[in-house]
Amino acid sequence: MRKAGRKPGNRLLGPILAFPGVLWLLLFFVAPLYVVLAVVFGGVDPVFRTVIPVWNPVLWSSDQPSYVLSHIVGPDGFFGPALLRTAVYVSVASVLCLVIAFPIAYYVARLSGRWKGLLLTLLIAPFWISYMMRMLAWVNLLANDGLVNRIISLGGVFPGDTEWLSGKSVVVILGLVYGYVPYMIIPLYAGLDRLPSELVEGARDLGAGRVSAFWRVTWPMSRPVVVASVLLTCLPMLGDYFTSDLLSGSPATSMVGNLINETVLTPGQTGQAGAFVLLVLIVSILPMLYYVRSVSRSEGSMA
Amino acid sequence: MERAGGPLVRNQVDRRTLLRNAALLGISVPALSALLQACADSPTGSGGGGGGGGEALKIASPDNPVTWPISDDNQPIADGLQPEKGPLLLYNYADYIGPQVVKSFEARYGVDVKVSTFNDTDEAITKIRTGAVPYDIYFPSYDQIARLVTAKLVRPLNHSYIGNLGNVWPTFQSPWYDGEAHYSVPYSVYTTGVGWRTDLVPDDVAGLDNPYDALWNPSYRGKVAVIDDWHTAMAMVALRSGLTDVNSGESADLDKIQQGLTDLSNAVKPKVTVSMYNDLPSGQLGISQMWSGDVVNAQYYLPKGTSVDILRYWFPEDGKGLVDNDLMMILSGGNNPVLAHLFLDHMLDEKNALKNFGYIGYQPPQNAIDTDSLVADGYLPENLATAAVKQEWFDVAYRLLEMPVDVDAEWHRVWQQFKAGA
Repeated sequence: MRKAGRKPGNRLLGPILAFPGVLWLLLFFVAPLYVVLAVVFGGVDPVFRTVIPVWNPVLWSSDQPSYVLSHIVGPDGFFGPALLRTAVYVSVASVLCLVIAFPIAYYVARLSGRWKGLLLTLLIAPFWISYMMRMLAWVNLLANDGLVNRIISLGGVFPGDTEWLSGKSVVVILGLVYGYVPYMIIPLYAGLDRLPSELVEGARDLGAGRVSAFWRVTWPMSRPVVVASVLLTCLPMLGDYFTSDLLSGSPATSMVGNLINETVLTPGQTGQAGAFVLLVLIVSILPMLYYVRSVSRSEGSMA
Repeated sequence: MERAGGPLVRNQVDRRTLLRNAALLGISVPALSALLQACADSPTGSGGGGGGGGEALKIASPDNPVTWPISDDNQPIADGLQPEKGPLLLYNYADYIGPQVVKSFEARYGVDVKVSTFNDTDEAITKIRTGAVPYDIYFPSYDQIARLVTAKLVRPLNHSYIGNLGNVWPTFQSPWYDGEAHYSVPYSVYTTGVGWRTDLVPDDVAGLDNPYDALWNPSYRGKVAVIDDWHTAMAMVALRSGLTDVNSGESADLDKIQQGLTDLSNAVKPKVTVSMYNDLPSGQLGISQMWSGDVVNAQYYLPKGTSVDILRYWFPEDGKGLVDNDLMMILSGGNNPVLAHLFLDHMLDEKNALKNFGYIGYQPPQNAIDTDSLVADGYLPENLATAAVKQEWFDVAYRLLEMPVDVDAEWHRVWQQFKAGA
């Protein structure tokens, strides 16, 4: 912080610029979060069993969240499997996304030359079609008499009768990967495109091979952007429920998003939905903190 | 509704009573929560979906018919009024009313009719309570009537506008859930049984000792579905295990149901959905718990080249299964009460009801419909004759009832556990 050399007008500029952002945060993050809290710790209407938000924290009751927490592990832990399943699905899907997205983004950003513009347009193309539509398309392709089974059977040579849509974890995970991989490629591309190529060239000049230059220069520099991209895809995956609903529809692949969707609509259980939301929020704050730390560290070292 | 004590004890009105009375008076949620906070003690809420006692609602059943009172501040409309100019707002499930029948009403009275849709009645009731849209007519199941009437969300009917109510089965002239039809007229009747395709399911399901068992048959793993409605699905599990009280508050019964659901999960990994009317004909499902109306609709979703002959439906011949009926009710928040009455009458007209049946696949309880002739008249294919709903079944079949709050919460807990895939 420099104290000297500021004109009085500049003192207002910061707050003025920050105002829309702060207002946005207050209106669309802090206030809704408080509503969620008021619902989670609130009561239930005795006739309609709808939720009654309680605004005064002094009167909050912890019945609903403690019900959720006490049913995660142990003999009554019927939420546990779904939560574990969510963690596994999201981790596997994120890793797969990264494995697919990184080479693509790397290629477009650094090796594609004059095709860059076209490739970039093609990368954005999936966003022209809604997530829901893309999933519904898979429902048709994966149906028992769908294109996938017909191709696998090679015109009846092999038995192409796999029931893809009957509660298979693999299908749900691949659905997540397919749905969210564009969200990974775009930020990865943006980050990799901005890496200073002089450093890589410098490494090569100083005798590092291609692989060694990648591992010792490019990869460490791209780590923050990788973390950011993984987070960007992880967070929506954590709340996803319709991938499982559309591609499976079976409780055998229920994720935490399904638990939220189910409880929020059930009279008397809305508070539990809020508790799950908080649970997801808390779990996702941890990697967020790691991201903030790694970004500030790398910016410090780069400056 | 009984008052909680006279003036002398008014100060001692406890929180629950206050809560209930406030709810009954239709006080909105924010105001109610403010009131709650005015009370000294902390709101107990409903822990883990469990609740306190369930004295708040009168619960109707065939053995305990209820005639809902008509209160002074919620009176029926007067006789002989002129209809309003509309537009008339209907609030209904998607694809659950025939467009032709709506059009003919529009033409007859020179008004617009707009249909809004909901996915399930819990969602619907939440929106109705906000009062944001002045819906005129709502199409609920009978198991919401106590809450709707108690909270004065529905308007009592003036039967002088609804002469066609005489067309419906005698059972529904004064049904047990709404004595003297003060608030509702019937819309459709349906059974809940088992639908299957003969090409994917070789067993003669209807011929089994316990046809429900077919849904638990591991050789159909991945091809089975149950209806995504806690009560409908769990009641079927109860019937399969030989329980006949599908609204039981006994924990032993509920344990049996829970075991049945676990067995079902392990044996066949069922889909839990409401799209069987599409998934069965498309071949994604081989066998499914089904509403009779949905199996009727399924014939129109068969891919080209697949014969309707492969579809089958089973419901106990003696009628000892699950039967249901949906209603039409006039909402008190609507702007067109007279027009709404005329619409009800229009839908209960014999010809309109039949036309509507042809579109939605769900049978109206009309005297003019001879259930034995539905096949001959082309409403049902011969192999789905079992999907016809017989009037006499309503005397012996099992009905899904509203439950006391704590029992309801227990059922929901078991269902939640099943849906979580634990």
